[in-house]
Amino acid sequence: MSGNTPATAASSSKSKAAGTSQPQEKRKTLFQKELQHMMYGFGDEQNPLPETVALVEDIVVEYVTDLTHKAQEIGSKRGRLLVDDFLYLIRKDLPKLNRCRELLAMQEELKQARKAFDVDEKELVD
Amino acid sequence: MKHSKDPFEAAIEEEQEESPPESPVGGGGGGDGSEEGRAEIDQTAEEDERPVDVRRPAKKSKTSVVVTESKNKDEDEEEEEENMEVELTKYPTSADPAKMAKMQTILSQFTEDQMSRYESFRRSALQRPQMKKLLIGVTGSQKIGMPMIIVVCGIAKMFVGELVETARVVMAERKESGPIRPCHIRESYRRLKLEGKVPKRSVPRLFR
Repeated sequence: MSGNTPATAASSSKSKAAGTSQPQEKRKTLFQKELQHMMYGFGDEQNPLPETVALVEDIVVEYVTDLTHKAQEIGSKRGRLLVDDFLYLIRKDLPKLNRCRELLAMQEELKQARKAFDVDEKELVD
Repeated sequence: MKHSKDPFEAAIEEEQEESPPESPVGGGGGGDGSEEGRAEIDQTAEEDERPVDVRRPAKKSKTSVVVTESKNKDEDEEEEEENMEVELTKYPTSADPAKMAKMQTILSQFTEDQMSRYESFRRSALQRPQMKKLLIGVTGSQKIGMPMIIVVCGIAKMFVGELVETARVVMAERKESGPIRPCHIRESYRRLKLEGKVPKRSVPRLFR
């Protein structure tokens, strides 16, 4: 990349590291590291190909974006965007629905447990 | 596997009963399963034990549980805590003991390779701060509740699972092996779209 000014040298080296050929493109990855472990867990190799991980990240971001837009459409009818809007959207997909219920139930329990912990701490202090 | 009780939890529960919660590798290696497999889980699953302590105040002395928790929770942000906790499944006492026993037997027979893959499966999660950023960007609102972030992270993780598993099916059909390539993912994505598992945009996406 001859002729790069120092200002763009950093970005071009970043894009080189990311493997893109164009110096202007900056791949801002959100979930790259975690996605690698996740893909290994789901069946890919220990070190998935970087282009595969990048593609999966793009797909996931698009999925979340579209899902959220749809949820917002539903939520706008009643005012705010709520968790229930997401649950409504995945109602047909039972594994996902059950998993979400699990996660929400766990979160509730942990909240309760933390509350109990705070109360205990106060009792200890007194 | 996603529906059944978590064998990690089952394994950890067993060890919890044997040793006090403060011990760093709580009963590490205890149990009937292959020692190696268990030891691996125990050491790496150590951080799983701490949140599990919170859920079993009845069985341990409350003060000891509280003390362990205070060391770990006070410094952590709520978001980080929940990162650990999302890996845990249902409350152990509500778990079906028969299912748990089944999972135990399966787990104990895992090879190292399988165990490491299972561990990655359990422990990996999309990061909540990043997801929060994404959601705020998409919705435009400044505040996104924690339950929403958790739910979306869970949904997205399962979606990744569907993508990767379908990609492996595609590879098997094409009789290819090795790492998954983008062409497999694209075919897998196309199939998921046909199945209706991908939300369709009412307006086609322009200028990606």
